[in-house]
Amino acid sequence: MLEINNLMVFYENALAINNLSMQVNEAEIVGLLGSNGAGKSTLMHTISGLTLDMKIKEDRRGGERITILGEMKFRGKDIMNTKPSDRVKMGIVLCAERHPVFPESNVIENLKTGGYLRKQSEVKEMLEYVFNLFPALVELKKREAGFLSGGEQQMLSIGTALIAKPSLLLLDEPLLGLSHAIQPKLVEAIKRIRDETGIAILVAEQYARPLLRILDQGYVIENGSLTFSGTGKELIDNPDVKAAYFGV
Amino acid sequence: MLENVLIYGLINGMVLALLAIGFALTFGISGIANFAHGALYILTGYTVWVFLHTLGTPYLLAIFLAMAITALIGAAIYNVILLRIRGMRSSEIIATFALALAILEAFRFFGFVGAKYTLPTFVEGSVSVAGVIVDYQRLILIGVGAGLVGLLWFFTHYTKTGLAFRAIAQVERTALTLGIDSDRMATLSLAFGAALAALAAIVLLPLGQITVETGLNVLLNALAICILGGLGSVTGIVAASLLLGYAQIITVTYIAPHWLMVVTLVAIFVVLLVKPSGLFGKQKELEERV
Repeated sequence: MLEINNLMVFYENALAINNLSMQVNEAEIVGLLGSNGAGKSTLMHTISGLTLDMKIKEDRRGGERITILGEMKFRGKDIMNTKPSDRVKMGIVLCAERHPVFPESNVIENLKTGGYLRKQSEVKEMLEYVFNLFPALVELKKREAGFLSGGEQQMLSIGTALIAKPSLLLLDEPLLGLSHAIQPKLVEAIKRIRDETGIAILVAEQYARPLLRILDQGYVIENGSLTFSGTGKELIDNPDVKAAYFGV
Repeated sequence: MLENVLIYGLINGMVLALLAIGFALTFGISGIANFAHGALYILTGYTVWVFLHTLGTPYLLAIFLAMAITALIGAAIYNVILLRIRGMRSSEIIATFALALAILEAFRFFGFVGAKYTLPTFVEGSVSVAGVIVDYQRLILIGVGAGLVGLLWFFTHYTKTGLAFRAIAQVERTALTLGIDSDRMATLSLAFGAALAALAAIVLLPLGQITVETGLNVLLNALAICILGGLGSVTGIVAASLLLGYAQIITVTYIAPHWLMVVTLVAIFVVLLVKPSGLFGKQKELEERV
């Protein structure tokens, strides 16, 4: 459903994404593994349109510091010049790194904000689904999001993204900063989302070990280009990948 | 004497709240300090006057048309002027202030000066409240102010656009990833702020004369309230307005009327010294708020 060919992203003269091609198929969980600064977040932002938004705002002020080249297609449609809100309408929703919730709004308000572009009935339906997926949020409905724990904020932030009704959900480092007790639960939830709703998920992670078993496809990114791609199983078996990313 | 202070303090507080709330709303949502706020206030007054006296439009219709026009001008300010300098705070202030001066001086240039520029009150007459004579227009303004605060609270908590306003004010990037468009929100925030300036003008201008100078006074009052209250919430704006409203009336009643403006400036000075984020401000830094 998502097809990227020869994508290049420059920040000033720095090459953040270098000639990258990849794809995500319908109802797949795809892993994007890489260390800090490898280009994971830049790629996620470029797919969701945030990089383009930044570029447009820069250009208006007369700056020309961001360049995006290449081809990006979503369900056959070119999205290189589609602004973020239209990409959300098409079904591409990003849940950014470090669970960025709206701290001064309460949990239910956060979730409803996710339904900005959706009909009331769709929002209601998805709310039910999110509370079913993360029952812990039910008790916290009226709590201000800024007062939630890291794990709760991550659940809220994924929940909010789900209310936006994605067909491709981009999760940027969902496990970052979470305790080892919570990580497997979240991984289980990610798998449930795909199994129960058929949403395709592209998940970027640095410490990928807990994720490995649920991946259909995996890519390894280094210095802005892909150094490995294959099925989840090939990823696990590859000795280089093992040594570099799973601490074996 | 005391009843007088109590009642007119409340009225004065509501006047200040009406003047400031549009400015605070725009800034709260999009981070844009619209220094043309006072000019839009005066522009609405003259627009209603022109509708009434030159075109003979019925009062109620003139009011709605003037509000709509001012709101559209607000939206245009973002899309024509601010779009290119978005995010450069001092440029935004300079541009909107320049626009304010241009609007106000244009009215002076075209001869909109004199005692004939007044608007009729909604209802003639007055009533005695606890022995104090209060005219109906001032009672109406209390009602409009209180109603507006309630309405805004409902709007920002229970409507999609209201929730989106609060979202983009808190974390812009997350709002973008959920399909909330930042240009659309900024346009709406300026249109709303302008419409609120228009509403304030419509309710308050019948109490006096429409003059070009009022435009800058309105801006100064709005800034004072926002600095005093902190731009965190509607609550802060209302509390600051009442505080300053009573302080002004007490000064006028017990000291001397010509100290009025000093009260405002001293209040700004003290708050900036003691609590720069404003009395109700949430962690926001000084430079973030004008």
